[in-house]
Amino acid sequence: MAKFVLDGKDIPFEPGETVMQAAWREGIEIPHYCWHPGLSIAANCRMCLVQVESGRQMAMPQLAWDEAKGEYVPATKPKLQPACQLAAAEDMVVSSTNDEVKNAQASVQEFLLLNHPVDCPICDQAGECKLQDYYYEHQGTLKRKLTEPVHKPKGVRFGPTIVYDAERCIMCTRCIRVCDEVAKDHVLDMRERGNKNEIVLAPGRELDHKYTLMTEHVCPVGALTSSDFRFKARVWFLKSGEGVCTGCATGCNTHVDYDPRYGKVYRLRPRDNEDVNKFWMCDDGMMTYTRHSTDRLLTPTSGRGQARAAVGEDEGLELAAAALKGVDADKFAIVLSAQHSTEDNLALVKFAGALGTSRLYLAALGGWEGDDILRSDDNNPNRAGATQAAGGVELKSLSELLADVKSGAVQGVLALGWASAESLDELSPLTSLDAVVSLSSHVGALPAAAAVALPVADTFEIAGSFVNAKGMTQSFSPVLSGPAGIEPAWETASALARALGHDLGFDSLESLRQGLADSAEAAQ
Amino acid sequence: MEPADELLNDQASLELEADPMRLNMGPSHPAMHGTIRMVMDLDGENLVSLDVQPGYLHRGFEKSCERGTWAQVFPYADRLNYVSPMLNNVGWSLAVEKLLGIEVPERCQYYRVILGELSRIADHFTCNGASAMELGAFTPFLWLLKVRDWVWDILERETGARMTHSFGRIGGMAAPPTQNFKDDVRQLIPEVHKVVKETEIMLLRNRIFLDRMQGVGVLTKEQALSYGVTGPVARSAGVAYDVRKDHPYLVYDRFDFDVPIGEDGDNWDRFMVRLEEIRQSVRIIEQALEQMPDDGPINVDDPRIVYPEKQDVYTTIEATIAHFKLVMEGLRVPAGEVYSFTEGGNGELGFHIVSDGSGTPYRVRVRPPCWYNLAASREMLLGGMIADIIPTFGSVNMIGGECDR
Repeated sequence: MAKFVLDGKDIPFEPGETVMQAAWREGIEIPHYCWHPGLSIAANCRMCLVQVESGRQMAMPQLAWDEAKGEYVPATKPKLQPACQLAAAEDMVVSSTNDEVKNAQASVQEFLLLNHPVDCPICDQAGECKLQDYYYEHQGTLKRKLTEPVHKPKGVRFGPTIVYDAERCIMCTRCIRVCDEVAKDHVLDMRERGNKNEIVLAPGRELDHKYTLMTEHVCPVGALTSSDFRFKARVWFLKSGEGVCTGCATGCNTHVDYDPRYGKVYRLRPRDNEDVNKFWMCDDGMMTYTRHSTDRLLTPTSGRGQARAAVGEDEGLELAAAALKGVDADKFAIVLSAQHSTEDNLALVKFAGALGTSRLYLAALGGWEGDDILRSDDNNPNRAGATQAAGGVELKSLSELLADVKSGAVQGVLALGWASAESLDELSPLTSLDAVVSLSSHVGALPAAAAVALPVADTFEIAGSFVNAKGMTQSFSPVLSGPAGIEPAWETASALARALGHDLGFDSLESLRQGLADSAEAAQ
Repeated sequence: MEPADELLNDQASLELEADPMRLNMGPSHPAMHGTIRMVMDLDGENLVSLDVQPGYLHRGFEKSCERGTWAQVFPYADRLNYVSPMLNNVGWSLAVEKLLGIEVPERCQYYRVILGELSRIADHFTCNGASAMELGAFTPFLWLLKVRDWVWDILERETGARMTHSFGRIGGMAAPPTQNFKDDVRQLIPEVHKVVKETEIMLLRNRIFLDRMQGVGVLTKEQALSYGVTGPVARSAGVAYDVRKDHPYLVYDRFDFDVPIGEDGDNWDRFMVRLEEIRQSVRIIEQALEQMPDDGPINVDDPRIVYPEKQDVYTTIEATIAHFKLVMEGLRVPAGEVYSFTEGGNGELGFHIVSDGSGTPYRVRVRPPCWYNLAASREMLLGGMIADIIPTFGSVNMIGGECDR
């Protein structure tokens, strides 16, 4: 592979790659604002200026102060080039740290802060802001300009999700490019020049496509803020875990930012994965985190409608076992969930095996539009995984279950998950049965239709895996611990089986996963 | 032991016990400054074996340093040798500055020297005063602490605190000298001389004092060297090692001062070396006061190391960011490790620090002079009498805060 030298280190590159790109792949960051690995090259921030030390130097005329003469004299200095736009060439020697470059970096940084407002204390970006980081690394001088900074619009509503602050903006145009190139919607543009530069909406438009939060995500400063996250948390209090988005069958990789003091998730951020989501996520996916702390089922409940009441942990399990006891095996239905991990579903498949029933159904969400960017047509993260857990057989739908209940072919149901495309009204045939038990992390139509509902852990609280629409298995670990006494669904299913006198044959996630490998083998 | 009436009935057992008696002293004993435990076997009043056991005052200093910023170490450093906290403050500043590759402005160097030497005077006054008190001479103790109070008055005016100042900063000091600083110190100097003289009059011809100090608690030069003893204890044994003279830091190479040494390494020499060092410290202070510029910056001119002015923080983005970074992440020290050492109150105070390039120390190791002095104290005490433990251990000036880190 061809190589060039950056700051004394050999960097391999593919033909056509830029210096910035090749260095980035090697894990070396040349300071930059406007360049983003997933976007086109703008080369407008000038922060990534480097000097090519090999070959003939491009010289730039300038006036330099001559101490002896006491005046400015004509001189030349090497011309610097933006690393993001500079094509790498064999044996090229590049410096991003020599004095000329350092001087340029400090000067660019000083220019960017020239009219920047004193907003750090009230800015959501503080703590993860490139202006702050690069100030400390590359500038480190105090203000020289004594006049009032130029003022521009603040708190401009761009749409339902994004608020814009023109004073904080450094005009890197990343947000414009993300709209153009990722969302394919030219809704943002730039107007005016110099000090008056600002980002504006297309006339008559709002920033309302499906990828608006990506504009905030790529913003290197605090100019674009998310209405959802705005003023909610300070980032240095947040810890981050890695997850997989539950929004659709694409399975975008996420960083899950949560506050360990409250066990509360505050936001998701896309986690780079070239094979799945590249650098991006859609708005609906970004907002799936809100599920974690809303409408949770926190205690077992018994009864339906007005008669529904919370019961104790052990009592819930006893009531559930009592409800399911005595149902004929061939009239017992197991409902898997396309929202739950493959492991959770497998535990229920094993449950079915222990009971001796082969009636497997699948509950899934509906009512969603995919696109050809990231959003899959299926808004369930693990339909493929649930199918895989069932040994590859076609799972029947909930409407078929309802028909079977009506016909009397099904008299007992164990359902996993809160998610169903059907409303409670549509699920009303279930309410005619006494032997309906739901294992659910949230309240919803399925647990509401059940005679007994047992709480289980949410996706952020468990280890497991999803199989996305492309058939890729992506595992995840628990990000935070769940409410006390609430276990993952596979454990609760196992406990329920024990209460019914069955042993599902696993006692840990590892032995359960072994079962998954076996069923995959059996399917082949 | 048998009951007393049995002893009386058995005439033979009134004879002195032939077997050595095992005795515990400390860790909770008023003479075992800072919870040291001594286990000894006594043959009558003589020590036949002795085990000096530190470790009852575990501060966790070194580990604590690994969870804050570099600047947040100062309050911990204060409490190393809490009798002369300014010397520790300066020692820590110099260590981090060495790793950063910066040097504070000249005015600050003089300021550090003067405050440090004032601390040393206070330290030696305390130790010598306590030595006298432990031999029953309470008046000299009060006499000496009177001046220590005056020294502390000055330190309080400068730093806001009498004892744990936390006044050092990386790249400077927390505040510039007050307007009357030089005058205050100049007024103090004659008082120091006067009290040293008075102490000499009170003690140096006192038979009891001489008998208890001379020839007691001897540490030979060889022993001092082999134990790594430094400071007044080593110098009293004839080891002419003073970091200020042998490896000058700050501006110590600009001063004319002597390093007093003793010959016998006994309590008397340790007492006399400390008295003389007070005089030498005063000499250094006098010269430093002459040479110290009245104007000029105290802190290095880099907002990435020293907090910018509050006025700037509130009104300009550059200073706001600098302040934010220094508070939230701490000043970043380049990756590497360094050993930096200064002359503390009791000898060579060394900081061996390792940085991983972040705002938090990766590892801080202190070389506390007391640790080595304490180890050598066994040699001084063994073979002596139990009553001599107290003056001898006092003259070692073991400070628990820096010994048990």
